[in-house]
Amino acid sequence: MAGTAAGSVRHNPIAPYLLVAPGVLWLLFFFVVPILTLGKTAIAVQNGPWWDGFARAFTAYGAHFFRSLKYALSATLFSIALGYPLAYFMAIRAGRFKNLLLGLVILPFFTTFLVRTFAWKTILNDSGPAVWLLTQLHVLPEGGRLLDTWMAVIGGLTYNFLPFMIMPIYVSLEKIDRRLMEAAQDLYSSPLRAFLKVVLPLSLPGVFAGSLLTFIPATGDFINAELLGSPNQQMLGTVIQNQFLQVRDYPLAASLSFVLMAVITIVVLAYARVLGTEDLA
Amino acid sequence: MSHGKDHSPEELERILRGALNRRQFLGRTAMAAGGLALSSSFLSACTGKEAAKAGADSTAAAAAGGGAKEVRISNWPLYIDKATVADFEKATGIKATYTEDINDNNEFFAKISEPLKRGQSIDRDIIVLTDWMAGRMIQLGYCAPLDDSKFPNKVNLLDNVKDVSFDPGRKFSVPWLSGMTGVGYNPKRTGRELTSINDIFDPKFKGKVTFLTEMRDSLGLVMLGMGKDPTTCTLDDAKAAAAKIKKARESGHIRKFTGNDYAADLAAGNIAVAIAWSGDIQGLAADNPDLRWIAPKEGAMLFSDNMMIPKTSDRQDLGLAWMNYVYDPAHSAQIVAAAPYLSDVKGAGEELAKIAPDLAKSELVNPPAELRARLHVFRGLDEKEDQEFNRIFQDAIGA
Repeated sequence: MAGTAAGSVRHNPIAPYLLVAPGVLWLLFFFVVPILTLGKTAIAVQNGPWWDGFARAFTAYGAHFFRSLKYALSATLFSIALGYPLAYFMAIRAGRFKNLLLGLVILPFFTTFLVRTFAWKTILNDSGPAVWLLTQLHVLPEGGRLLDTWMAVIGGLTYNFLPFMIMPIYVSLEKIDRRLMEAAQDLYSSPLRAFLKVVLPLSLPGVFAGSLLTFIPATGDFINAELLGSPNQQMLGTVIQNQFLQVRDYPLAASLSFVLMAVITIVVLAYARVLGTEDLA
Repeated sequence: MSHGKDHSPEELERILRGALNRRQFLGRTAMAAGGLALSSSFLSACTGKEAAKAGADSTAAAAAGGGAKEVRISNWPLYIDKATVADFEKATGIKATYTEDINDNNEFFAKISEPLKRGQSIDRDIIVLTDWMAGRMIQLGYCAPLDDSKFPNKVNLLDNVKDVSFDPGRKFSVPWLSGMTGVGYNPKRTGRELTSINDIFDPKFKGKVTFLTEMRDSLGLVMLGMGKDPTTCTLDDAKAAAAKIKKARESGHIRKFTGNDYAADLAAGNIAVAIAWSGDIQGLAADNPDLRWIAPKEGAMLFSDNMMIPKTSDRQDLGLAWMNYVYDPAHSAQIVAAAPYLSDVKGAGEELAKIAPDLAKSELVNPPAELRARLHVFRGLDEKEDQEFNRIFQDAIGA
C-alpha cells in the first residue's frame, strides 16, 4: 500500500506545483508586479540621485511616520479595550442573543466607510451634542472642541476598525472548551483567576489576529485624519495621497509607500515575536 | 520526513500545535477579511451594474450613430440652479447627466490626465476647470477645438475675457462662471466686521479659521496682505507667504485647508472666518443671513472656471449644444440667480435684473469699477515653477 502511494506521488511530480499555482499567480500579478512598478516609480527621480525620494521620505516626514504609528497603536489598544469585553459577552454569556449581537457588529458595514466617518463630523461638531455635554461636565474647557483634534482622529480610527478586532477575538473565545473553565473552577480557581489563567491565554491568538487587522490598515488610513483631523493631525496616508494627486511628486509618494510598508512589516514581526501564535494554545 | 532525526513526543506536539494554531489564525483572519470583502464586493457589484449599463448605453449610442443623445457634464458643487439641466433637455431633446464631481483642480486633473494621455475616453463631454488648469489642459493638447458654427451664442462672450493668455481667441474654452476669492465670515462668531486680509490672523480667531487648498487663492490673498502683488510675484514672495501660512497652521490658528467644504463648517458655526469664494457665501445666505463675504481692502483674487470638451469625447456636438444653451443671456442669468458668481455672457445682467432684481444690484454678481480695480489674477506659472510653488505650499499646509 505504501509503495502504491509513493508511486502515485512519483507519477505526478508537478501536482503540488499545480495546486499552489493559482495562489502564486495571484501573488505575482497582484503583489509582486505592483510592488516592482512602485519600486520603479520610487527611483525614477528626475533631477538628483535615485535615492532622493527615500532621503526626503526620511528627513521631511519623520513626524508623520511617528504620528501614524502612534494613532494606529492607540486605536488598536482602544479597540482591544472595547472589543474584548463585547466579544467575551457574545461568545460566553449572550446565549440566544449571540447571532443578533453578531449581526449588530456587522451592521455598520452596510453603510460605506466614508459616510460613517462623515456622520462623526456632525456628531462632534462645535455646536453639537458631544461638545455640549463634555463642556457641561467640564471635561472640555469652555470653547474647546473635538472635531479637528487628535481625539477625533483616534476615535474615528477606533470606531472604524473595531469590528475587525471583535470578530477574531469572538471566534477564538467561542472555540474554547467550556469544560476547561469548569475544570479550573473545580480546582479552586476563582473566576478571575480562571479567566486570567485559562480563557485569556487561549484567546490571545484572536487578539493577535485582531490587532493585525486593526493596526495595519489604521496605520495607512487617510480618511479619518483628513475628515476628522486638522492639518496638524495628518497621517502618512494623507501625505501619500497628496503627493500623488496634488504635488504629483511620484518618486516621493512611492518612496513613502515603500518605507511605510517596511515600517509596518518590522513592527508586525516584532509583535509576532513577542506574542507569536507558536507557543500559545 | 526526509531528515533522520526523531522528534521527541513533546517536540512533535509543539510542532503540531503550532501548525494548528497558525491554520486557525489564518482561518480567522480569512473569515474577518471575508466579511469586509463581502460588503465591498456587494458595493462593487452595484457600481459594476451601473458601469455595465453605462457601457451598454454608449455602445447603443455608437451603434445608432449618436442617435441616443446624452451629454455628460462634470462641474463643481453649488454651481448651477435646479432647473437648467431639465430645461436644456426639453429645449434640445438631448439628455444630460450633470455630475458635481470636481472639488479640486489638481485632484480632478490627476484622475483624468492618464486616460487622456493614452487617448482614452473619460466619459465626459464637458469639464470645467480654473484658468491655470485650463491652460495646462490646452497646452497638453487634451482639449478639442470649439467649432464656432455649432456654437453661435459664443458671440455673447464678454470682451474682457475674449483674449486670455492661456487660450488666445478662446479656441478651446469659454468661462462657465467667474468669481472672486476673498474673506467669508460670520459676524456673530467674529464679534466685529472685517475689512482686511490680515484680520484672518487675529489671535482671537485661533482654531476658527480655514484656508483653501487652492494654492493660488490662499497664497495670493496672503501675499496681498503682505503688500505683494500676485500678478507679478516672485518665488521669494511665495516663500514668505507660505511661511506665514505654515506658522499659523502649526500654532493651530488655521483649523483646516478645504475645497468647497468650508461652507458647511461656516454654516455649522465650527469656523468664524474662511478664505472663501464669493458665490458660496451668497448661496448660503438664504439659510444663514448673517454670513458675510468681503473683498478685503488690500485686494481679492479673480478667477474663471472654464468649460472645455475633452479631445477624446465622441459627442463633441452635444458638448457644443450645452455651451450654446448656457451662453444664452436668459439661461446664464437663471444659473447666476442660484449660483451668484459673475456671468461672462453679454446681456445676462439685464436678464438677471428681470428675475432677481435684488441680487442684480449685489456687488457679488455685478462688481462696481472700484471693486474690479482691486481684483488680481495669479500670474501664469510654467510647469517647473508650478511644481516649485506647489511644493512650498503643500509643505506649508502640512500635506
